Amino acid sequence: MGGGVAGTSAALAAARGGARVVLLDGGTGASTLSTGAIDDAPWAHASRPVEPLSGAARALLDALAAYTLPETGARIATTAGILRPARGHDLALLDLAPLAGRRVGVVRCDRPEWDAGALARAWGDGLVPLEATVLRHVDERLLPSADFAARHDDEARLAWLADRLRDALTRAGARFDALILPPSLGVDTARARALSTLVGLPCGEAAASPGGPSGLRFERARDRALAAAGVTRTAARAVRVERRGDRGYVGLAEGPALEATAVVLAVGGLVGGGLAYSPGDAAEASVLPPASLPPFRLTIDVPAARLGARGRPLEIPGSLFGIPPESLAWPFTTDATMDRVGVLVDADGRAAPGLYAAGETVADAPRTWLRALESGARAGSAAARDALTSPLERPSSPSAEPASRP
Amino acid sequence: MPDAPAPSLRPAPAAMAVAEGPLPSGADEYDVAIVGGGVNGTGVARDLALRGLRVVLFERNDLAFGASGNSSGMIHGGVRYLSSAPHVTEQSCRDSGYIQRIAPHLLFRMPFLMPVKSSRQARVMFELIDAYFRAYDDYQPLKHGKPHCRLDPGELARLEPGLRGSIVGGITFDEWGIDGARLCVLNALDAIEHGGRVYVHSTVEAISRAGGGKTAAEGARYVVDARDRQTQERLRVRARVVVNATGAWSPITAAAGALPQERVRVRPGKGIHVVVDRRVTNYGIVSETIDGRQIFIYPWQNVSILGTTDDDYYGDLDDVHATSEEVRYLVQGVARVFPSVRSARAIGTYAGVRPTLYSYGPNEDALSREHEVVDHAADGAPGVYSMIGGKLASYRIFAQELSDVVAAREFDSTTPCSTHERPLPGGERVPDAIPLAERYAVTPVAARRLVYRHGALALRVLERAARRPVERDVTCPCEPVLEAEVRHVVREELARTVEDVSRRTRLGLGACGGMRCAARCGQIVAEERGLGPREGLTMAREFLVKQGRSRVVAMGPEQARQEALALAHLRASMGET
Repeated sequence: MGGGVAGTSAALAAARGGARVVLLDGGTGASTLSTGAIDDAPWAHASRPVEPLSGAARALLDALAAYTLPETGARIATTAGILRPARGHDLALLDLAPLAGRRVGVVRCDRPEWDAGALARAWGDGLVPLEATVLRHVDERLLPSADFAARHDDEARLAWLADRLRDALTRAGARFDALILPPSLGVDTARARALSTLVGLPCGEAAASPGGPSGLRFERARDRALAAAGVTRTAARAVRVERRGDRGYVGLAEGPALEATAVVLAVGGLVGGGLAYSPGDAAEASVLPPASLPPFRLTIDVPAARLGARGRPLEIPGSLFGIPPESLAWPFTTDATMDRVGVLVDADGRAAPGLYAAGETVADAPRTWLRALESGARAGSAAARDALTSPLERPSSPSAEPASRP
Repeated sequence: MPDAPAPSLRPAPAAMAVAEGPLPSGADEYDVAIVGGGVNGTGVARDLALRGLRVVLFERNDLAFGASGNSSGMIHGGVRYLSSAPHVTEQSCRDSGYIQRIAPHLLFRMPFLMPVKSSRQARVMFELIDAYFRAYDDYQPLKHGKPHCRLDPGELARLEPGLRGSIVGGITFDEWGIDGARLCVLNALDAIEHGGRVYVHSTVEAISRAGGGKTAAEGARYVVDARDRQTQERLRVRARVVVNATGAWSPITAAAGALPQERVRVRPGKGIHVVVDRRVTNYGIVSETIDGRQIFIYPWQNVSILGTTDDDYYGDLDDVHATSEEVRYLVQGVARVFPSVRSARAIGTYAGVRPTLYSYGPNEDALSREHEVVDHAADGAPGVYSMIGGKLASYRIFAQELSDVVAAREFDSTTPCSTHERPLPGGERVPDAIPLAERYAVTPVAARRLVYRHGALALRVLERAARRPVERDVTCPCEPVLEAEVRHVVREELARTVEDVSRRTRLGLGACGGMRCAARCGQIVAEERGLGPREGLTMAREFLVKQGRSRVVAMGPEQARQEALALAHLRASMGET
């Protein structure tokens, strides 16, 4: 359940493990908002030893064919004006780590969030603005970056861009070792390598704000990988998961329920919509709010899942009006409960027999792209083992089970 | 003045010191040094500058940092004083009319509904309220307000379908809204336009005698030492007169001049407001808190505001913020008549401290909102004055009262006050935003907001954008704010940080909380000020942290998702939490 990085990883891992898999996708979540820089530990903790990626997770990353993990990490420019370390990146992004001390052109482009002069100064030595014409039509000045990027899926348009960049380099008369562009290089696939070949220099994007083209590139890469693995992705929103004997049942918002040996919850955290903040005072109540509930809940009804943080279940607040949010959230507190809350699981990602969780749905998991991939791989593999060792006859397909509707 | 002498805060201070070290040159000599960049300080600076006096103003933080920039944003007519002090109501209404005249672009009509809930005395109460507002109607023409209307429950429901509960009827009344921060900025700009000097982020550390036994007629009597809190640069000026207009900070400022603090004692009263992401009501609605206080929810510019609390404040005046307890108190009170406020999305809070006149004993709401001028001649400091108390709506008349005293007593000036007639910068006329949007190729919404903030001076911003088309880019999409306006307020309006830009333009105060604009704004501010990119980023981070604190205390389910996203964005793009 969940079409983001964790859900995709779980689906692919389970399929590789021999299970028959259906992926339920309830809509866009945090993965679609990814910037293209991918991390293992949260950046603020990047000095911590990096956990090596498991072989299974690395294989899944390869299956997506849209990302790279350089041996010594990457250095990514953000449109906020930072050069940030990253464990890896979307193939459209330019890795500045191997270009240290080299001259990198910041291509001028009259679009919001892209002041080449200011960004070059902010990113530091070696980055210099390059005058160029990269907008072909008037509307491109204000087009959302994902729509602008989609235009470069077209071969002819990419060739036009390459011509303009070569002209710009000739006019500049100075040597450049690479070019960095605004988030713009394709949606269907990353077009940075093709552009680099046409221009004759490494070319790539800076990392975008959430909502840029990188999230859409993930979705395209996901769909190709799932199709190649024979996994069906179904646009459906689950509303309830329950266990009866050795079988799990998933009630959907529309249509018949599904039956499965194992279920992986990868429905995201607060950003993705898998978890919700439910302060006591949010309810319609004229006398007293219902204060006897913890302040977070899963948005899907899963009786077997327990929410917690720091390894402990959430507690009923000792307040008539719910827990003060100051004690739950940044910036009043670092390492905040809001940043850690999720389903309590064991080392395999198991929340209960036949029920797994992955990605930001899991308590205490770092909210990073690679940890979502890793936890999805682990949960998917374990779920496949459940499926293959189940004493019951396998269903021939996800089957209807009317009794499990909420 | 309080009825009884206030108890001393501390042992009597030593007499004011004589300034040591080299005195400033003539170029740094002023007629009047004003301490405090709120609406009283900037109002006095403008008034005296218009009378031809040389003024200098020091503000410890930013203009409108304190109560002036964190008020309910209303120029009201003083309806609450109608029975006890009708002359105050008349004066307030007349001054509201003056402020409309001098800043027509900055005011907007705020009609209110006051529903009367069923109770044993409801019918009597309704008649009394109706009669009370009938009396208030007599003053409405002074402020171009409409007379009140008496409404039955059906009419109330049609005007405001979200009203709930058993209501016997209600009345309408009419007030005016204003952006208090911009009002301060415009007063400061006009003072500068007329020869004044304004130092922001500069704290006054000492007020001393200049020495030499000079009298007012002979020259400067006082030396004011200040320090720029950002650059650490020291500033020293001489002035014949010093005005303490620092609101709740008044006793602290008095101490810098070794003046007795009890003479300027205030009773700081904290007031918070909750901001909802859109206009959720058609009218302002009056409601009651659990302890019987009157509060409001009202549409204000492009948001709705719930306000306010009034609690004695014992904390840091430089770091006042709302708590979730205060938020719940307000939401509970408003939900009593407008329950759907509970499902509205709160996107922030703000808090300020009223410089209420000191009195020990009464509860906060019973304290006087009057103002007074304190002449420190009685403390051995002739030519030093303090402005105590007051409120946004009465700033102009308070500034006039102080300026009349200073001009006549210290400078023998007979130049009359003109602040009620001469328009504030941009107030000469209000251009039509729609043709401007077409002519300068910006969105109509951006043009309307720009005209609201700058009046006729919006043209200056748009001309700048026309010369540099890249500055037509929208830096803050929520408000929206053009890049040209960000650069304008840094160059022309004394903004030095992202937060300062926000105070002048409302950048970063929308639903995304600055997530989409703070970093870019930091780049622009740094570039305009000749700072490095790192300093721009630091300003942006500081702004985001401060905004995060203001939002989380009011966080509901939808805003929690936005908070998680904003934090993820901050981590991914800017690298620190």
